Amino acid sequence: MVLVFLSFGSIYAGGYRVALQGQRMIGMAHTGLSVFNNAETAFFNPAGISFLDKKFNFSIGVSGIMSHIKFQNTDYNWAYETDNPLGTPFYLYATYQATDKVGLGLAVYTPFGSSTVWHQWAGSDIVNEISMKVFYVQPSLSYKFSDMFSISASLIMAYGGVSYNKNINRYLTGDNGEKTNAQLDSGITGAAGYDFALAFRPTKNLNFGINYRSSVTLDAKYGKATFNNVPAFLSNTLKTTAFSAKLPMPAELGVGMSFKPMDKLLVAIDYNYTYWSIYKELRIDFKNGLPPSIAHKNYHNTSTFRVGAEYQFNDKMFVRAGYYFDESPVTEGYFSPETPSTDTNNFTFGFGYQMHKWAVDFSLLYLKGKERTDYTFVRGEGPSAHKFGGTYVGNAIIPGIGISYSIK
Amino acid sequence: MKKILNILAGLLIVSSFTACQPEFSNPIGDSTYTSGDADFSNYVAVGNSLTAGYTNGTLYKSGQENSFPSLLSNQMQLAGGGDFTQPYLDDDTNDVGGMVFSGTPILQPKLIIDASQGGPERINKTPTMDVSNIHPGPYNNMGVPGAKIFHLVANGYGNIANLASQQANPYFVRMASAPDKSIIEDAVAKNPTFFTLWIGNNDVLWYATSGGTGVDQNSAGNVDPTTYGPDDITNVNVFGAIYQQLLDALTANGAKGVVATIPDVASVPFFTTIPYNPIPLSDQTQVDALNAAYTQYNAGLQAALQNNLITQDEADARTINFDLGANALVIEDEYLTDLSALGLPSIRQATANDLVVLPAMSVIGVAPDPNNPQLVNGITIPLEDKWILSKDEITEVRTATAGFNQIIQSIAAAKNLPVADMGALMEDMKNGLVVEDGSIYTANYFDGTNLDNLLFGLDGVHPTPRGYAVIANKFIDVIKRAYGANLPKVVPANYPTFDILPAN
Repeated sequence: MVLVFLSFGSIYAGGYRVALQGQRMIGMAHTGLSVFNNAETAFFNPAGISFLDKKFNFSIGVSGIMSHIKFQNTDYNWAYETDNPLGTPFYLYATYQATDKVGLGLAVYTPFGSSTVWHQWAGSDIVNEISMKVFYVQPSLSYKFSDMFSISASLIMAYGGVSYNKNINRYLTGDNGEKTNAQLDSGITGAAGYDFALAFRPTKNLNFGINYRSSVTLDAKYGKATFNNVPAFLSNTLKTTAFSAKLPMPAELGVGMSFKPMDKLLVAIDYNYTYWSIYKELRIDFKNGLPPSIAHKNYHNTSTFRVGAEYQFNDKMFVRAGYYFDESPVTEGYFSPETPSTDTNNFTFGFGYQMHKWAVDFSLLYLKGKERTDYTFVRGEGPSAHKFGGTYVGNAIIPGIGISYSIK
Repeated sequence: MKKILNILAGLLIVSSFTACQPEFSNPIGDSTYTSGDADFSNYVAVGNSLTAGYTNGTLYKSGQENSFPSLLSNQMQLAGGGDFTQPYLDDDTNDVGGMVFSGTPILQPKLIIDASQGGPERINKTPTMDVSNIHPGPYNNMGVPGAKIFHLVANGYGNIANLASQQANPYFVRMASAPDKSIIEDAVAKNPTFFTLWIGNNDVLWYATSGGTGVDQNSAGNVDPTTYGPDDITNVNVFGAIYQQLLDALTANGAKGVVATIPDVASVPFFTTIPYNPIPLSDQTQVDALNAAYTQYNAGLQAALQNNLITQDEADARTINFDLGANALVIEDEYLTDLSALGLPSIRQATANDLVVLPAMSVIGVAPDPNNPQLVNGITIPLEDKWILSKDEITEVRTATAGFNQIIQSIAAAKNLPVADMGALMEDMKNGLVVEDGSIYTANYFDGTNLDNLLFGLDGVHPTPRGYAVIANKFIDVIKRAYGANLPKVVPANYPTFDILPAN
């Protein structure tokens, strides 16, 4: 399966949300709740499908996430940085105007993921490597009540899993002197969710949109835990075992508006509210009687403010720019290096080129994380329990390319 | 299409421009860590086993690598510190320590936990270090296991010819720059700019670990250490004179440093692990039988009392009585009035004021005569003096320890040197403490519930490498405060404790 070859990356901002769901809209700060002019609306606001002026619309795109995170703590002379692989979140959208009132949409996209790799570092008992991959398959039905108003309902089929490696604790080593570590692979598991949206177009130059995407909890029941560098005296305890874990994907509510202050200029403003408080803890229950691994997360709900613009040079060329502020869902005292998410300032740029039915779009997102000094408490017995923290700073540069095709 | 390529190229250029690494507003750099008023360029550590990195009953290679001076020097290297050399241990090929002399083992290898047996025992491997494998120093780590204060100034302590007469130390033999150099001469020859001096523990400890079988040279008034036996308490005046001499030598060229105090005897698990009353009785017939066995002795005490040979207090203290529940050990006590003329041994039951030494673990409850299972050590056979540090012996040890610490404090004050209160720290290490990162270490020594929580090793006297990390952090605290230096701490939990093997 193609998933095996793709890593959806970690963009370091809002938890493990990877907001890269359309090259046109990335250029405009990943707004899109009220921009109904291409297949990307199948993700941003499926109610907008009924407002598309082409019968068939297709879009496909991919981004390349190059993220860097640095960590330091002067109390212990710790200085480390991640060696994250290139993340490649993708999407594929199709819309079909079945009747004047009814539109159909299909969206396949990767809204969540994370990929963080720390090598031989001070927080190895929390994470060495983590890679989470989640993709959604979302068929939609939109219905237009009038030229001003439409709604949509969508089913979400979510698939995903996580691979996670951490040391057992800070001191346990195998007889070879290497640290004992656990490798947890959840396998791919599925779950369902839904999406409701509403599009409102009072005038040709003023659009509004609301979208609610439900939470989805992937319930990995058949995970496999293996242990490496196990000392001989623990070889009967740390044996390969099954495990279960729940991975919650938060719900998201979005409200947006777009308008044309002049003929060639489109401005879009979005507000997203993400229900991160669903992520209370990461609990891993082992089937062989090992005590469960519990990491408290206590995420809080977050807001994201986005403003973007598109200027049309001529009938072929579009340039885009945008800015958004993304709030970290991590509560103070729960800041963990497996998803080191700080508040971020995000600057986006885009360029689109239209050729008859085809369009190609480029985007560039520069994500600048705010420096954050925080810690998490690692649970455990005796010296295993401790505070781990320091100062984190990160950024990401994310170019992307998308191709669209439309038929009247 | 060309335009698209231009744009693409443009984006890539922007990408490469901005893809530069994120930067901290205040990154760790060359000026983060500083030596303040101190000069770490040549650090020399002077002391005994605690300075050498001795742990789990011996000095072995990986233990030495985690000695507190080694950990400290690593941190100092971030603030102008230089190379730190430690005595040659590369011939410890099995990483088990111990020592052989002309093929004969003279020191045992390290203690480990044998998971199939549960308790600590010596690892079943042969020591490879030979006394005659001499690699002359001086080294930066001048910690010599077993050294008492007067050994630091003793010429010939490193001469292999003196081993047979026990006037030399096998560790110092291997590391002395020349056979007749003293430890302090070698330390000074290293020309330190900074030093730590932690000495005096063995001057009381050996007396204590021997169960007080040596001589307290304070009550004896003996100020000639060449006449001392290995288990004697060093005379406080001897300690004071030599301590002054040591610090004069170390500071002669203006070096700065830290001195450390000596912990109380009861602050190591060696004396606090076995309770005074480890004999549970749940059967009244057994209680009656035991009491019957001492009827004659108890009656003899009453006779002695009536003849005014002993006081009422002593008679009470010596009367042996067993009850249901936890019972005190029966012990020999040389401080009791000698009633051997009446045929009465000097024995009594232990109290909470007595300390039982750790090795007694293998003796208590054992019936040494297989033909007479009624004779049991600690119950029907009084425990020998060497297994018990009695309350009078404890007083001697405490008086000497207090005297030594007073000398350390006052000479350090006169020299304007900061004092690391290792006495207090080791008490905390035994009782349990929370370190900087919130990790909790407890005192449940040998109860088997959580071996990871311990800072003391299996010999019950020496910290593990994890414990030495706590000690290094204490020195760092003192250095930061006294010299205005800034050094990073180490994380104790990253350091090992002892080996646990499935079988030995």
